[in-house]
Amino acid sequence: MVVPLNTWVLISNFKLAYNLLRRPDGTFNRHLAEFLDRKVPANANPIDGVFSFDVIVDRATNLLCRIYRPSDTDEPPNVVPVIVFFHGGSFAHSSANSAIYDTLCRRLVGLCRAVVVSVNYRRAPEHRYPCAYDDGWTVLNWVKSRAWLESTDSKVHIFLAGDSSGGNIAHHVALKAAESESGIEVLGNILLNPMFGGELRTESEKRLDGKYFVSVQDRDWYWRAFLPDGADRDHPACNPFGPKAASLEGVKFPKSLVVVAGLDLVQDWQMAYVEGLKKAGQQVKDLYLEKATIGFYLLPNNAHFHTVMDEIKKFVSSNC
Amino acid sequence: MVPYETAAIPIANPPATSSSTTTTAISKPPEIDGLLAGAGYKVRSSDLRHVAQRLERLETAMLNSPSQHLSLLASDAVLYNPSDLSTWVDSLLSELNQSQSLPSLPSDLSDLVSNPTALDGSWMDQQLPPPTAAIHNQQPSQLTVVEEDSGIRLVHMLMTCAEYVQRGELSLAGSLIQDMQSLLTRVNTGCGIGKVAGCFIDALGRRVFAAGGGGGIPGSAYETEILYHHFYEACPYLKFAHFTANQAILEAFDGHDCVHVVDFNLMHGLQWPALIQALALRPGGPPTLRLTGIGPPSPDGRDSLREIGLRLAELARSVNVRFAFRGVAASRLEDVKPWMLQVNPKEAVAVNSIMQLHKLLAGPGLDPAHRPAPIEAVLGWIRSLNPKIVTVVEHEADHNQPGFLDRFTESLYYYSTMFDSLDACALQPEKALAEVYIQREICNVVSCEGSARLERHEPLARWRERLGRAGFRPLHLGSNAFKQASMLLTLFSAEGYCVEENEGCLTLGWHSRPLIAASAWHALPETAAVSPDVAVVGGAVM
Repeated sequence: MVVPLNTWVLISNFKLAYNLLRRPDGTFNRHLAEFLDRKVPANANPIDGVFSFDVIVDRATNLLCRIYRPSDTDEPPNVVPVIVFFHGGSFAHSSANSAIYDTLCRRLVGLCRAVVVSVNYRRAPEHRYPCAYDDGWTVLNWVKSRAWLESTDSKVHIFLAGDSSGGNIAHHVALKAAESESGIEVLGNILLNPMFGGELRTESEKRLDGKYFVSVQDRDWYWRAFLPDGADRDHPACNPFGPKAASLEGVKFPKSLVVVAGLDLVQDWQMAYVEGLKKAGQQVKDLYLEKATIGFYLLPNNAHFHTVMDEIKKFVSSNC
Repeated sequence: MVPYETAAIPIANPPATSSSTTTTAISKPPEIDGLLAGAGYKVRSSDLRHVAQRLERLETAMLNSPSQHLSLLASDAVLYNPSDLSTWVDSLLSELNQSQSLPSLPSDLSDLVSNPTALDGSWMDQQLPPPTAAIHNQQPSQLTVVEEDSGIRLVHMLMTCAEYVQRGELSLAGSLIQDMQSLLTRVNTGCGIGKVAGCFIDALGRRVFAAGGGGGIPGSAYETEILYHHFYEACPYLKFAHFTANQAILEAFDGHDCVHVVDFNLMHGLQWPALIQALALRPGGPPTLRLTGIGPPSPDGRDSLREIGLRLAELARSVNVRFAFRGVAASRLEDVKPWMLQVNPKEAVAVNSIMQLHKLLAGPGLDPAHRPAPIEAVLGWIRSLNPKIVTVVEHEADHNQPGFLDRFTESLYYYSTMFDSLDACALQPEKALAEVYIQREICNVVSCEGSARLERHEPLARWRERLGRAGFRPLHLGSNAFKQASMLLTLFSAEGYCVEENEGCLTLGWHSRPLIAASAWHALPETAAVSPDVAVVGGAVM
């Protein structure tokens, strides 16, 4: 099991920097986090066929989104998928304008001929559950009502996507859309290494603890930072198919594509999520990549990266 | 430990189809790993292995440190330029090694350290800008759909008009301007897109309808000073510039008894009380401070430079700082000659330029006498002063592109963002006059040409190149400056402003758009060979 050198350097650097930011008392060194985060501004001039601009969706909470669009060279197609993207960072790190996520969103535009709306949701520990979910819900409603995001059938064709904590947020926003009587239809959910957990220590957590950039201890820290005070990891935000969660049976939940990395210690929870969706009669495809570590989708230097990009492309085009 | 490839060096450049490195991120010479560059990190491919090994060492060192220790390190250590991974990892390693030789601190001390209100540098208490009363997030009423549509239409019309101007089709441009003016009556020009559009329509009008090419807004130096002062009060851009520059100057002056600051644009001397007070509180006592303030000559017999100098002298006297002031009156920076500054070779010199250098960039091929752009000459004589530090703050924008449409588009986005940030200010008349200040800038960018167009803003990347070519090397601004700037913003400005670190420089922006960039430089002595080494302000981390 070997990771390309530059990926290793990138993820190790994150890991060690993040170790400095998490304090044992549960607080977070936000200033240093922002100092360290490599950010890029939006760019209205197309680079490789994609341009971006930032929009304030809600002034009251300073909720910002970065919109990525393909620069129109050919006839725009009849249907343009709109992917609402939630970046990862275990609920505490990164932003919509983090370089790694700016790069990923640009890729998605080219891949799916989509508009990508990257949500700069409020982060833990300053903003706990349900802030991130609320922000996702606000953006979903905003996206639904933008005339300039509609396809030629006057409807906005919406997908939700996210990696790590972003995957978790995508699930919960989709759930809210399904359960509320908003009439907002989400055509598909794309979850890359989604962040789930529970009180139980699973086999994969024990086996892979500390082995591939991630430890059970840091996962616990991030859940404590995100979940309400006094909650445990069986809180439905963390464990959507756990003992405290409501059933998803009969809920009009979107189709899901769940990507699981075989070297991610959280994989047992991710596979349990897939099982949970199936048992509730929901449509889900899981893509298990045996030799992938976390963050494999950040750099296009491995076979798993290309496999996943192809799957995402197929998923979006066939469900649009 | 996760094993990494020990074989071939990975792909340095991504394949064209999945390439997405933005040119605005960082410039990338060929030997830099292209994929990491896209993530914001500059590492030479040939250094990757070495960096990986250092990361492994760092991990071991961190594992051997109690987590409380790490948090303390994170709060206290001054760190620089995270993009330069190799140096970054090494500096962390050395910080960790240094701190590990100290006895461990009692646990209650770490509570104090992590208290965000415990500001370093007691001088900040003396000259914090007065809390701007009642600054709150203004919540403009939700735009109606009609307004939003009109706003978008205005933007399209503005762009079309700019294109006509670029193509020389002035009569088409003129009639479009009239259409826009009537559309403006249906839009709220008090805020948002309406206000910005109003400024740009006005500027286009001046360009298109003015007789004899170029119609900027005339104004006296006195007016400019008043507007500047209100811009200073209404939003944090200038305060950030002053604060960041002063921080760097203070550190550069450490250990020197005779110091001399040359201010390229004195205005009301707003920057200097804070520095004077900080120097007064310096451990070991203040140095002798000379301040040379450059400014336009005052009409009608007033000597405004001297008046400001006198006020600053009074302040310095009240805090026991030996102080001398000299005013240098010049209408243009390029008219200043170094002998006028009377720099003494024994003093430590700081040259401070807040939004001045861009005025020295002549457009290509516009000067009939074919003189070289004044910028080179001025940078040359700055260097000849052998300054300890040169602090530079500039607009983070490209408003000096030769093509009119590009310039217009860029400034439309830039000033929209700036106006948006100003919306949050509740102080009047500061806000109104600040808007006039900005409007004049817009007018200059859009409706002036040749030597009349002074607002030739260029982005940080270009200033880095220029200053590098002129023999200056960066002095990196670190995590302490970043943190203090961020904290001040939180305390005194509306939410939405944000400080970012950019390869050793700091930018201040509104939401995610950087609007001004602050950097610090020193000059290699003229006889020294040009070397790529970088120093850091105040520290000896290298």
